[in-house]
Amino acid sequence: MRRIAMAAGRFPDKDGLVVLLILGVVALGVVASSALSSRATANPVSRAAAAAEPLPASYAPMQSEGGLILRSSADPRSGEVAASVPAMRLGTDIVANVDGQTARVTVTQAFRNTSNEWMEATYLYPLPDDGAVDTLKMVVGDRIFEGEIKPKEEAQQIYEEAKASGQKAGLVEQSRPNMFRNSIANVGPGETVLVQIEFQAPIAQVAGDYSLRLPLVVGPRYISGQDVGGADNVGSLANAAMLAGASDILAPTADPAMVARAGGGLNPVAITVNLDPGFTAEAISSPYHAVNVDGSGAVRTITLADGAVPANRDFELRWSAAGDAPALGLFRQSHSELDYVMATITPPSAERTGTAPPREMIFVIDNSGSMAGESMPAARRSLLYALETLRPQDRFNIIRFDDTMTELFTSAVFASDRNIERAKSFTHRLEAEGGTEMLPALRAALGPCSARGDVENADHNAVAIAACKAAHEAEAVIGGRVRQVIFLTDGSLSNEAAMMEEINENRGRSRVFMVGIGSAPNTFLMRRMAEAGRGTFTHVGMGDEAESQMQRLLDRLARPVATQITANVDGGNIDFAPRDLPDLYAGEPLVLLGRTRHLQGTLTVSGLIDGARWSQSVELNQAAQSDVVARLWAGRRIAEVEAERWSGQMSYDLANMAIEELGMDFNIVTSRTSLIAVDDTPSRPDGARLTREELPLLLPAGWDFDHLFGAQSAQGSRDMPLESDKERQRLELPSTSTGYMLTFTLGLLLLLSGAAGAVWMRRERLAAGLNLHSLQRAIA
Amino acid sequence: MAAALTQPGCGPAQLGRADKEGEPRRALPLLLFLAIMGCGGMLIAQALYIPVKAQAAQILLARAFDESLATGAPVKPWSWADTAPIARVSAPRLQVSEIVLSGGSGEAMAFGPTAVVDDRANRVTVLAAHRDTHFEFVQRLLIGDDIWIERIDGTTANYRVARVQIAAWDEFTHPTDGAEGLLALTTCYPFGTHEPGPLRYIIWAERAQG
Repeated sequence: MRRIAMAAGRFPDKDGLVVLLILGVVALGVVASSALSSRATANPVSRAAAAAEPLPASYAPMQSEGGLILRSSADPRSGEVAASVPAMRLGTDIVANVDGQTARVTVTQAFRNTSNEWMEATYLYPLPDDGAVDTLKMVVGDRIFEGEIKPKEEAQQIYEEAKASGQKAGLVEQSRPNMFRNSIANVGPGETVLVQIEFQAPIAQVAGDYSLRLPLVVGPRYISGQDVGGADNVGSLANAAMLAGASDILAPTADPAMVARAGGGLNPVAITVNLDPGFTAEAISSPYHAVNVDGSGAVRTITLADGAVPANRDFELRWSAAGDAPALGLFRQSHSELDYVMATITPPSAERTGTAPPREMIFVIDNSGSMAGESMPAARRSLLYALETLRPQDRFNIIRFDDTMTELFTSAVFASDRNIERAKSFTHRLEAEGGTEMLPALRAALGPCSARGDVENADHNAVAIAACKAAHEAEAVIGGRVRQVIFLTDGSLSNEAAMMEEINENRGRSRVFMVGIGSAPNTFLMRRMAEAGRGTFTHVGMGDEAESQMQRLLDRLARPVATQITANVDGGNIDFAPRDLPDLYAGEPLVLLGRTRHLQGTLTVSGLIDGARWSQSVELNQAAQSDVVARLWAGRRIAEVEAERWSGQMSYDLANMAIEELGMDFNIVTSRTSLIAVDDTPSRPDGARLTREELPLLLPAGWDFDHLFGAQSAQGSRDMPLESDKERQRLELPSTSTGYMLTFTLGLLLLLSGAAGAVWMRRERLAAGLNLHSLQRAIA
Repeated sequence: MAAALTQPGCGPAQLGRADKEGEPRRALPLLLFLAIMGCGGMLIAQALYIPVKAQAAQILLARAFDESLATGAPVKPWSWADTAPIARVSAPRLQVSEIVLSGGSGEAMAFGPTAVVDDRANRVTVLAAHRDTHFEFVQRLLIGDDIWIERIDGTTANYRVARVQIAAWDEFTHPTDGAEGLLALTTCYPFGTHEPGPLRYIIWAERAQG
């Protein structure tokens, strides 16, 4: 009966015709009415534009990490090169207290005003990626003012008001997740004001080796667009910077000649590390700076051998554990009625017996047009290097994509000499062109059995896919082969939600490693994708840096130590992040962060090491007190919120609110919260002028000033108009999405469901009609 | 079919009776479904109206543009228009060309790309249009692509795509001085989604030499 009714729907009887007629009339009416009232039609655009208007002006996209710093365009004085010695001089003193697995770092910046004017100064500085600034102190003479955490706009307002009324004020804002800006207002002639911030940073740990990295320099990132005309590659950096569009901030770079004139270093940094790792540290070294090590036993003090150094290269301190490193660290903290816990578990690095297990590596390389310039050669060279690391027992495949996609081999093949040769010539031929359509490539990479668009046989396909998946799964378990998918892309991703879904559903035994090349705009999302794919995200820059980073990643991937790791809590209820645990590579610890109402139960972590089962349990209530855990959790949560925002799972406003709430709750500087300290008594006399100064940054060591800024510095007064002298105009762009497809889909849905309902209501009548019809036919 | 034939009893007579009895009760839900269909139809019409208007307007605009080109003065595409074509932007590789309107209002944007900034003295032009109608092609532009701007005064300029940028709507800045000539095509980002968002996709193109 039902079949007939359905069939009848296609040959509507009289009622059906009436319905269609009505519909047609209605539709025509609507078209006509909206056509006539075209002026009155508030199309979704203008509505959207109106809605966008009142949004706060702080959608920090936070899309590039590190790199070129651009400063407020509103101030036309700001060039990109500071050729004159700044009136405001800065000295920085860093004290890092390493306690177990975290470091508490105090950065004291002394702003000394050498001029006869009242000054305001701002300074942009880097912090470790996962550092969370939570304390600000401003020291004026013998008075100390504690900073308070406030929502960003409120803090800005307080700062501006204090500045206007002549009070000293200090403001710490986050410009990028790893970049902060200090502003200080109303420093009198000859006066020195100290601004002290504190943050904590985790200690990196690989095998028995530990390291603490303190970034001291923010390098202008060389963003090569196209060679901008033969003659004027003068300002290729400046020009790129102009186009790069991180328009909120820009700091000038110090001219080396000026630095020499300034004497005593432009921004000297003194560093002291109090090392108390909980065991006797050995082989303490600093690869980039000469250091003195004092003390003995577990507690050491490390200072720079040369006293203060210029802030032109990052500081790194490495040490290693004498005997066995503690395999387990468990810390807890209570914060507003909830318990936070951090567990670091290092699986035993089993005696390495020669060869690493065979691997399957799928390289997915983006050769879309946006990779043009330096990204493409860097990606190509990285891939060639990767091919060199393959052994005959490993399998591999290469997938390239722009808006089309090619798989080099139909499925992964053994890395025989012949196959490698083919892969190399394939790689050499890759040219950047076309659009970016990542999803098909992702699909192909994740599933050796993925559906290849055979729509007609959908049912049959599903079965085949399932069977194929099962077979591969079994094969993988038996062979113990690790499947690593390595994405090389500049990350101009679109349809983010679909990509996340694809990874979540089809990752199987694959591990997804995202490698962002160049100015990857969507690092949060790439990080999130890697996490969902139980891999890692590596953001490599351009040129040589890209390759060395890529090599490090590949070397690391060569030796997975523990796989299929799970964490369970018996007798307690904790959500740990990350939810999907990654594989561990040579000596890396597993770091879990969790939050719960009441900390109890037994945490068991288990996994496979060299094919053998391994597990370790720990009583959670034995966790040691630590005052860093809650903030580390908050930092992690913020990263998650950012990723959700980028993948479209959370709206901009909601994400902003969530981040602001976290910032206020945990007292940390975020994209939405700033620290502000204000001197309660005004110091600048009425009428005295306040001069604003942007403190120049040193170029990273090894960077060639003349090369980067070209003729700009050498022939600064030539007739050629300099890119850096250009003023910029701020402009609010209109909302440009009609969203008619959404309306259309909704309409279609309504229409179809209405039609289905109507047909269903009349099914018996229709069926009867058809019945009669066929009976008549049968009789005839 | 076979099933139907095996029970010829449940014929029209039986049904007819049921129909008569339940008529008032049954008519109500049917009306509801019809209303839903009506709404659906209305929405579809409303949705389709946007691209149809966008395309139809371009035809009228093209005519007005040609007229403007001939007379050298802006010609309104239709009598009640509060905007006039000022240029034609085209991307030869993608085989698209659109008539650009003066003034960056959402109103004008329904008909074509609009010039948010058109500073001829400083050679800076910023165009904006919807990502799902006139600037749908922008996502397919590549670095190195040629873009031509043909103005109603008869001048033609060749720009070359130099860089792609993604920025929040309130974070966009452009240089006040465009040097040789600077063109920005802006539209909403990400592509493929339908809700308005804060991000904008910006194609920067520089005046090609010679």
